[in-house]
Amino acid sequence: MAYVATRGGERAIQSAEALYRWLNRQYDPGFVRDLETHLPYLLDRVMGEGSLWAPELAALAVAQTGGDLYEAVLLLRAYRSTQPRIAYAEPIDSGSMLTVRRISAAFKDIPGGQILGPTLDYSHRVLHLQNSAKPDQSLESPENARSGALATIPYVADWHRQTGLMQPLKPDPTPPAEIPDLTRDPLLFPAPRAQRLQALARSDTGGVLALGYANMRGYGGIHPTVNEVRLAYAQVQVKHPVTGAVFSAGRVRYSQAEVVTKFKTGADGKPALELGFAATLGWNEVKLIAASMLDTAMDLPEPHPAHTEEFVLSHTEPVESSGFCIHYKLPHYVTFGSDLDALRKARAQAESNEREGVG
Amino acid sequence: MSRGLETGAFDQAFWLGVLARADALEVKAFTDGLLPALEPLGLEVLENRTGLVMLPSTDTAKGSRFHLGEVLASESRVRLAGVEGYAVCLGRDLEHSLAVAILDAALQTGLEIELIQTFVRQQAEKLEAADQALLRRVEQTRVEMETF
Repeated sequence: MAYVATRGGERAIQSAEALYRWLNRQYDPGFVRDLETHLPYLLDRVMGEGSLWAPELAALAVAQTGGDLYEAVLLLRAYRSTQPRIAYAEPIDSGSMLTVRRISAAFKDIPGGQILGPTLDYSHRVLHLQNSAKPDQSLESPENARSGALATIPYVADWHRQTGLMQPLKPDPTPPAEIPDLTRDPLLFPAPRAQRLQALARSDTGGVLALGYANMRGYGGIHPTVNEVRLAYAQVQVKHPVTGAVFSAGRVRYSQAEVVTKFKTGADGKPALELGFAATLGWNEVKLIAASMLDTAMDLPEPHPAHTEEFVLSHTEPVESSGFCIHYKLPHYVTFGSDLDALRKARAQAESNEREGVG
Repeated sequence: MSRGLETGAFDQAFWLGVLARADALEVKAFTDGLLPALEPLGLEVLENRTGLVMLPSTDTAKGSRFHLGEVLASESRVRLAGVEGYAVCLGRDLEHSLAVAILDAALQTGLEIELIQTFVRQQAEKLEAADQALLRRVEQTRVEMETF
C-alpha cells in the first residue's frame, strides 16, 4: 500500500474553493428565500433525493453549490446525519392529505373526477422572452370556482377494489418505528417492499427515468398505463408524548403515482389488475411514473437484467452513484502506476520473446 | 383542513395543529404578550431542539407501509405551573415551537384560556380561508373527459 502526499495542498484547496465562490458570486439570505419561493420543483427534487423535507435548507444547499444538484443532495444528507430522530409520524393516507391534482390516464370517469391542478402539461412550451427584460406580466390569479374541490379525494385503486377489478388489500399493521428503514439497515436483496419503496422515494430522478424509459421503449416486459398521479399536501401527524393526542406538525408537498398492467391471477384464482407504485417527498411526476413502472418490472419472474431489483435500486442511489463517479477524478497515481508497471513488464517480456523467437 | 372548525371541537390536537401551521411571527408575538402573566407561575424549558420526524406513507398497490423520508422539525417541552406543554413544528424555528409549547401548557392548565382560544380560532379561520381559496382554484381545473 502506498500513499501520495501533495505539497502546497492546503493553500491550493483554499484558493480553489475561493475561486469557485468568486466565479459564482456571493448569495445572500434574500436570494435563498427567493429560491424557496420561486423554484419549488427544484427544491422538491433536492429534498426528495436528499430524503429530508427542509425547504429553507434545500434552498441554501442549492445556493451554496451554485446549483450542482448532486452536491446539494449530499449537503442535505450530511445535514440530516447531524440531527436526532425525535419522532415517527403517522403513515400518510388519503384522509390526511389535501389533494390539488389527481388524474388517471386509464379510467376517465373516476370517483372525485379528473383534476388537473397546478400543471404545465397542456401549455405551449415557448420561452417568455419578454420576461427576461421586465417583470413577469403573465401572472394572473387563477379563477375561483364557487365552491372548493373536495380536500380528500379517494384513491382510484380503492374504486377498483370496490368494483372487484383488484384484489382487496390487507392493512399493514407495522408500527412506524418498526418499518424497515434504509437509513438504519443495509439494503439486502430481495429487499422488503418497504425498503424498495423507500429507495425509490429517495432515488435519483435522472437515474430512475433512464431505467424506466428503457423499459418503456421495449427493454422490458410490461406495457402499463397510468392509473393515478396525485399531488398533495400531506399532514405530518405526530403523537403528544404525554397526552397521546395525535396532531399535525405541519404539511409537506407529497406526490404518488400508480401504473396499471394487464391482468394477473389474484390470490382468489381470478384475473385482476396489477399495480406498480411509487411516492416521494415533493412533487416530482416524471420520477414517480418511471419508478412505478420499474416497481412492476422488478416483480416480473424474469425481468430484463437492467430491471432487476438489485440493478435498479443499486444504481439509482444519487449520493452513492454520483460520489462513486466523481471519486475517479481524485489521485489514483499509485493504483494506476501499478497498472503501468504491469504493462511495462508485459511489453518487456513481449520484446524479449520476439528477440528469442518465442511465441 | 383545520380539524375542529367544522365540528366545533377545541381539543389539544386542534390547537397544536393550528398553532404549528399558523404564522410563526404572530404566534411568537402573541405568546410574548402573555409571558408577564405566565412566568410568575413557574415556567421551565425542558427541551428546545431541532430534530427529524420520520414520515411513513402507505403503498396503495400492495398495502405496505414504508418510510418516505424525514422532515426537519423543532420540538419543545416546557413545564408551566407544574403542567407539561409540548410542540412540534415543521422547520427549525425554535422560538415558534417554544411559543406553541407554552400555549399548550397554558391551555391544559386553564390559564388565559379565553385569550388563547380566541387567538387559536382566529388563526384557524385564516388557515381554513387559505385552504378554501386554494381548493376553489383547484376545482376550476376539473375536466370532463369524453371518448369519441
